[in-house]
Amino acid sequence: MNLPIIRYILGHIIKLEGLFLLLPFLVALLYRESTAYTYLSLAVAGFAIGFLLTRRKPENTVFYLKEGCVTTALSWIALSLLGCLPFYFTGEIPSFTDALFETVSGFTTTGASILSDVEALSHSSLFWRSFTHWIGGMGVLVFLLAIIPLSGGSHINLLRAESPGPSVGKLVPKMKTTARILYLIYLAMTIIEILILFVSGMPLFDSVTLSFGTAGTGGFGVKNSSLADYTAFQQWVVTIFMILFGINFNAYYLLLFKSIRQAFKIEEVRWYLAIIAASTGVIFLEILDTMENGFQALTHAAFQVASIITTTGYSTLDFNAWSSVCKVVLVLLMFIGACAGSTGGGIKVSRILILFKAIRAELTSYIHPKSIRRIKMDDKPLEDAMIHSVNVYIATFVILFTASVFVISFDGHDLITNFTAVAATINNIGPGLELVGPASNFGFFSPLSKYVMIFDMLAGRLELFPLLLLFHPRVWKA
Amino acid sequence: MSILGKNKQSRKGLNIIIVGCGKVGSTLVEQLSREGHAITIIDRNPKKVQELAGLYDVMGLAGNGASYSVQMEAGIEDADLLIAVTASDELNLLCCTVAKQAGDCAAIARVRTPDYSKEAPYLREKLGLAMIINPELEAAREAAGLISLPTALEVNSFAHGHAELIQFKIPENNILSGMSIVSMSQQSPVNVLICAVERGGQVHIPSGDFVLESGDIISFAAPREAIRSFLQHINMKTNHARSTLIIGGGRSSYYLANLLLQMGVTVKIIEQNYERCEELSTLLPKATIIHGDGTDADLLQEEGLETVESIVPLTGIDEENIMLTLYARQVSGAKIITKINRPTFKDVISTLDLGSVIYPRLITCEAIVAYVRAKANSMDSNNVETLYHMFDSRAEALEFRIKQASEVTNIPLMELSLKKDLLIACINRGGTIIIPGGQDCIRVGDTVMVVTTHTGFHDIEDILNS
Repeated sequence: MNLPIIRYILGHIIKLEGLFLLLPFLVALLYRESTAYTYLSLAVAGFAIGFLLTRRKPENTVFYLKEGCVTTALSWIALSLLGCLPFYFTGEIPSFTDALFETVSGFTTTGASILSDVEALSHSSLFWRSFTHWIGGMGVLVFLLAIIPLSGGSHINLLRAESPGPSVGKLVPKMKTTARILYLIYLAMTIIEILILFVSGMPLFDSVTLSFGTAGTGGFGVKNSSLADYTAFQQWVVTIFMILFGINFNAYYLLLFKSIRQAFKIEEVRWYLAIIAASTGVIFLEILDTMENGFQALTHAAFQVASIITTTGYSTLDFNAWSSVCKVVLVLLMFIGACAGSTGGGIKVSRILILFKAIRAELTSYIHPKSIRRIKMDDKPLEDAMIHSVNVYIATFVILFTASVFVISFDGHDLITNFTAVAATINNIGPGLELVGPASNFGFFSPLSKYVMIFDMLAGRLELFPLLLLFHPRVWKA
Repeated sequence: MSILGKNKQSRKGLNIIIVGCGKVGSTLVEQLSREGHAITIIDRNPKKVQELAGLYDVMGLAGNGASYSVQMEAGIEDADLLIAVTASDELNLLCCTVAKQAGDCAAIARVRTPDYSKEAPYLREKLGLAMIINPELEAAREAAGLISLPTALEVNSFAHGHAELIQFKIPENNILSGMSIVSMSQQSPVNVLICAVERGGQVHIPSGDFVLESGDIISFAAPREAIRSFLQHINMKTNHARSTLIIGGGRSSYYLANLLLQMGVTVKIIEQNYERCEELSTLLPKATIIHGDGTDADLLQEEGLETVESIVPLTGIDEENIMLTLYARQVSGAKIITKINRPTFKDVISTLDLGSVIYPRLITCEAIVAYVRAKANSMDSNNVETLYHMFDSRAEALEFRIKQASEVTNIPLMELSLKKDLLIACINRGGTIIIPGGQDCIRVGDTVMVVTTHTGFHDIEDILNS
């Protein structure tokens, strides 16, 4: 294990967060809030610690997959620990556990909150909360790769550990250019959303924070009612952008630099859109009777489906009151999640796709035991190793999920609450059902349960293995 | 001319596609990705592609590199250069042909079979290739150069063979030991320049007051005709070996034997495979072909291992070559040249005291890297013409062609603010080799050889302090 290089990259991450903390400081100045000093001093502290850690460049820059995973996991932990301090020091969230939960929920783009009254927060803290979504969505290490020159070539291991999806590839041969293209597309789309929302009459502060939440597929709102009080047009804008941010960013690259046909050929994207259309249809029919008119039903159905499948977690109403068919559809969407290579969480459409293809191939092998049929994706044969890794991923996911539900059940809440609370955190969604439905929050859980869910959120965002690797004793030896 | 455009960071890397991730392919990936080019690799074997893509900052693609659609996916339209180094000559040529049609890029193919390699100039011209490389032939050329000057550890030629860079070890009690570079050049009857010295694992670019010691490995540049008189002056042997024993009868043996026979050296080849022996005896009627096991000590004795003047083990197995060299060194005083295919254990091998060692795949890479560096510059600027790595890549010798006036031309060298650890070794002005002193200037039309421990020079102006 190359500890010096891990220290070096961690130092850069902390320095970077110091810079990011200046943004809420500026917001505080703008609104003349007393939180300004807290943000400024933490920014300076972060910058100083980062500076100390990066002062000496490591001689050995060798970087393998295990270093990539450990660096990523530790970076996210460090990021959350520093990022939660503003809430704690300003006294807006008095409990450290709660502050950490809120921040991890932000960085992992979960959007599960422990706050019962969001509107009581200062503007600067609301901004910081939403900004964590934005930076966590595309990934802070990807951001780092885009700006600092790291020598050596094995940084694909960082991208691999941080970017969601079963197979991580580059868009162009150079890591740095890839990271820049990703962030440019991300930034451009965010700005377009902010502009559209602002022009439609939303206050600038709300446009910016909500766009951050959409872009990172996070879900922190700035109102207690989430998105219920905005106009139908604004809700549709957010719906469409949620869906767009849930699409594999490779598609945008192909769209911009190659051909449109290639972009629409990506199998995962087609299935993703099909699943959204089908789910919206089912829910639309189910809730049609309870709504004033068809358009309103469609607005709410589409919004909730988009919000859950992209693992954003905004809501325009309390879907906990819907029929059980609707709730089952939403819970299923929680697990499917968005596309690989997007900012969304969940198991990912591509993994589900591979799983179903593997099941079909297995069935065929019962009928024709000697038949050979390679599983293909986007017209290319899949490696057996990839199918294997998808299987192991899902098995690990189920084990972690079950264990978490078991531990938090000691708090004594009902099964649906426990089940959806874990589902909503491990898949980085936000709201679940019953006690953790969109109209409620996670504040009532015991500290132990909160730490379990903090772990689940990080594990879900980093695709399980980078975080689990920290607990493997052999990683730390020699 | 803007200074900014010349600085290193702003120099854009090329888009390079490498087809074939074998030994040469992966060495190229390592070298070229370190020099900052955007590289896409293609290989039929997805495992190999994945392995390399995990190690270096490159994009990988599994598939047949000669197929149009695969090349399109690899971005042939934007590529500047395609290098085909798969195991098959035919596939390499096909890759390049497709690439020339699909994209507007330069193409380099590896062609190894003697049938084609004789026709290399014809193929190159007709197919419009930038370069055809043949590692075995290059290795054979290098070995032949060493046999013609057995004292040298390495012989590299520059300026179309007008000048050479010779590396040798200063023996015990040689007149050079204890002598400073300045007094050496005053006493020497001919003009030579010592460009680099390896002592105790460190490579130095020596200044005038550097004092040589026995055991130093030194590298000097000189006009071709001056080399022998200089070596005679310092009491080193200069006559070429008259007989050579080659163990193993592969492609490189054929190329080497061919070159040696032209030089008038008697050649004996020991080869295990009977059919190959017959083939060789048809191809090389003047050589003695022995059918037998080259690792059999009795056979080696019988064939005159102890009396022959040079020995080149060229079996396909590195370990066997090394063992043969060590054995031969024990029983004979002949000049021995060892060919090593896999440079993985280079560090260990360099401690073994094998004498001259040649690495065919590094020779190939040097040629390609030199081409790429020249291409990364605009066409009319002062390009790298030749590149050699010295002392296990710890120093580079580069030859620049000066095509236009720049900040280094027409100014006496002593007035230029040159980087440290750098030496202008010689200037070739229309075939005349000048070993430059402080008063000499670089002129347009020259080629200039620079020896340095810096890496990655692209342009003659890189020698200046920025």
